[in-house]
Amino acid sequence: MIFALDFFLRRLSQGIVIVVLVALLIFTLLRVVPGDPVRIMLGPMTAPSVMEATAKKLGLRDPIPVQFGRYLLQVAHGDLGHSFIRSAQGGSTGGSRGGNTFDTENRAPVVELIRSTVPYSLLLAGLGVLFSLIIAVPIGLAAGLNSSRWPYRVALYLSAVLVSLPNVWLGVVFILIFSARTGWLPAIGYQGPSYAILPALVLAVELAPVMIRAISVSVAANLLENYVAVGQVRGLSRYRMITWHVLRNASIPLLNLLGVQIVGILLGSLFVVEYIFNYPGIGLLMINAVFQRDFPIIQAVAILACTVLVCINILVDFAATNIDRRLQY
Amino acid sequence: MDQTRRQFLNSASAVTAAAGLSVSSPFIGRSYAQDKKTVVLASMGPVTGNWDPTSHTTLGQLSFESFIFSHLTRSPMQEGKADEILPDLATSWKLIDPNTLEFVLRKGVKFHDGKEFDAEDVKATMQYASQPSRPAAAWYPGPVDVEIVDPHTVRLHTEKYGYPASAYWFVASFLPMMSAKDVADPKTLEKRPNGTGPFKYIETNGDKNIIRANDDYYGGRPKIDEVVYAYVPDSNTRVLGLLNGQYQIIERLEPEQYQSLAKNQNVVVHRGLSTENKYLHFRCNKKPFDDVRIRQAACHAIDRQQILALIGDAAQASNCYVSPMKWGFIDIPGYPDFNPELSQKLLADAGFPGGKGLPQLEYITSIGFYAKTKEYGELITAMLGEQGFDVKLSVLEPAAWEQAIYRRADGQGPGHMCDVGWITGSPEPDLVLRPNWYSKAALICGVNDPEIDAVLDKERNASTPEERLKILQTETFPTIAKKVPSFSLFSAVNFHGMAKNLKGVYFFPNGPIDLAKAELT
Repeated sequence: MIFALDFFLRRLSQGIVIVVLVALLIFTLLRVVPGDPVRIMLGPMTAPSVMEATAKKLGLRDPIPVQFGRYLLQVAHGDLGHSFIRSAQGGSTGGSRGGNTFDTENRAPVVELIRSTVPYSLLLAGLGVLFSLIIAVPIGLAAGLNSSRWPYRVALYLSAVLVSLPNVWLGVVFILIFSARTGWLPAIGYQGPSYAILPALVLAVELAPVMIRAISVSVAANLLENYVAVGQVRGLSRYRMITWHVLRNASIPLLNLLGVQIVGILLGSLFVVEYIFNYPGIGLLMINAVFQRDFPIIQAVAILACTVLVCINILVDFAATNIDRRLQY
Repeated sequence: MDQTRRQFLNSASAVTAAAGLSVSSPFIGRSYAQDKKTVVLASMGPVTGNWDPTSHTTLGQLSFESFIFSHLTRSPMQEGKADEILPDLATSWKLIDPNTLEFVLRKGVKFHDGKEFDAEDVKATMQYASQPSRPAAAWYPGPVDVEIVDPHTVRLHTEKYGYPASAYWFVASFLPMMSAKDVADPKTLEKRPNGTGPFKYIETNGDKNIIRANDDYYGGRPKIDEVVYAYVPDSNTRVLGLLNGQYQIIERLEPEQYQSLAKNQNVVVHRGLSTENKYLHFRCNKKPFDDVRIRQAACHAIDRQQILALIGDAAQASNCYVSPMKWGFIDIPGYPDFNPELSQKLLADAGFPGGKGLPQLEYITSIGFYAKTKEYGELITAMLGEQGFDVKLSVLEPAAWEQAIYRRADGQGPGHMCDVGWITGSPEPDLVLRPNWYSKAALICGVNDPEIDAVLDKERNASTPEERLKILQTETFPTIAKKVPSFSLFSAVNFHGMAKNLKGVYFFPNGPIDLAKAELT
């Protein structure tokens, strides 16, 4: 108990520092790279003087440290800001506006935009992980248990092929074959859970090779440990040895893999996959926000992603210390 | 009853799963009525969150608004008939004197909220929308006073503002008419669009905007019951959505996509000349392009035939500063042609023989917005290089490019040359000419030339369309071609894809799509 309290306090305080640093980096980069959100908001025919006045009204001409301080204070109160582009009444993106359109109450709260899109992304991510486990676990186990035979080689070559397939291309091919040509599955947008199947398969193809390699290496390494031979000498069957001991020991590095690497790959892949499939998740929200320089959405999603990764990292490390107490520190 | 932990866990899981299935989930989509005729239009242009048509100048929302709002007149802008104007909300119009234009309005027209359309709506719309503080005032030639002669007759008076009323001759087909009641209530005006068009606005759901057929439309209720205007930024996604039947119309195809879809038995493609020309703008307010000879030398270094060969179906040759779909178009005599010897002579006359002594010139172009801009940008860079221009090509993604091309508040802009397309509605050429080359605007090139200003003012102030046409073709266009503040490279072509069973669609060359007479067979 004392260890758990100490662990979480220590790791959470480190995590907060990481999140703040990432937020500062994203905040600064957005204001330094080319692309003026006010120009995108107001459209091509607006006078420069009107644009400057609008930018000042939005606080975009204040020094970056001042803007960041104001933003941090806002976030500390649970307010992730309001979109520059999306209106409170549900309009999409872009364009010039009249005088009071920039007032806060007319622009969509970022929290609401994220809240409405996260469930779709969670469904997609969950389905993607499920499909990848269905593919990877049997192949990885077979490869790990037969590391000098053909199942290992098949797993190796299959992983190499799958990891080489770009998800952008794969998404287009899947839509063409499974939706446009055959009509087996719907593909674009979302009108029901079946719309998540094709994009989830693309994610699974991306995740599976990493899982296959990790499972096969971990299982194979554990099979070489002394306890396996000792256990069998003591009368345990090979089946029991593998299912009760080898798999448990092999799962520790897999926890780290699933927790950190897979979530990291997912966070990156979701943006691309949701864009290709026009799937209304947080990835598509983010990509559109990047195109339109909608700073509040970009900042909020980046902070959210960083926070999720940090928390998962902490939870995975804590779970590992419970599985193997030698890992406690 | 004794129960093991395993049994408890199993039964708890079963109950939870059953409960989960019975609770409505955000993931269960609504099914659509099978007998409702719905067209899903995948657009590359988003809408804004402000439904006041005067609050923006964005293409996506202009196209969407064309379903909802009508105009006093209608300009089909067909090739070879750019000057054709048809009745719409007005049944007739005439010039009373050089500063007065009268419109007789159609009777029995209603707004979507039930209000009758009459002269007070025209007055409220035009006097509001033409105010210089409105972002879309750029569509108007200037402020205007509207006189209500009777409930169905209005007169536009422009004398006080120093320009002729004939300036509204064509542009009236592009100005959406709003309800006077809405204009008087800006909050309502912003919250929902209320027009007299064939479709009425229902709701916006994320990136989808839903409109339904207007039963009281004066042109007859559309056969299409519902249109879903969906923002789909990726062109591949739009094409795939058409192929799998989720979309019925898609816009902004790439040339290769157009060619692929043309071979597909299940879809139909449309190719049409647009009102857009692509320009190479020179920064005329900084060296070296403040010297007309350098600009002319650059133009003569560029072989436009090679550019057309590269772009293929997506471009059409033209030698004018407006598209052939605009009124006044003419192949300008003496338009700069590919002439390397003349380019060298001009460079030498300007004091830079063979380009020696010229600074490195930055050429800013985009990628992912127009077709093949990076490719022909590289070609132009190479062609200029052959004549001694040292050009650095900067290829920017659309948001960065959009920031870079327009002049800042200090009048300056980065780089020395910019590649930009300009697409506007109605046959009115001033929507192109004045923002780009009139010194008080010159949004990109920054030209400040009294001769160009003079010919632009002269054509605008002509008292009749016939006189104006003559000035445009014999003075305005030749002057701009001589001074070359920008070089018009070609006229752009629009590509659309449609479901095979969708008939009766009309594509306007500036982007909007007319579904009033369309049907799904």
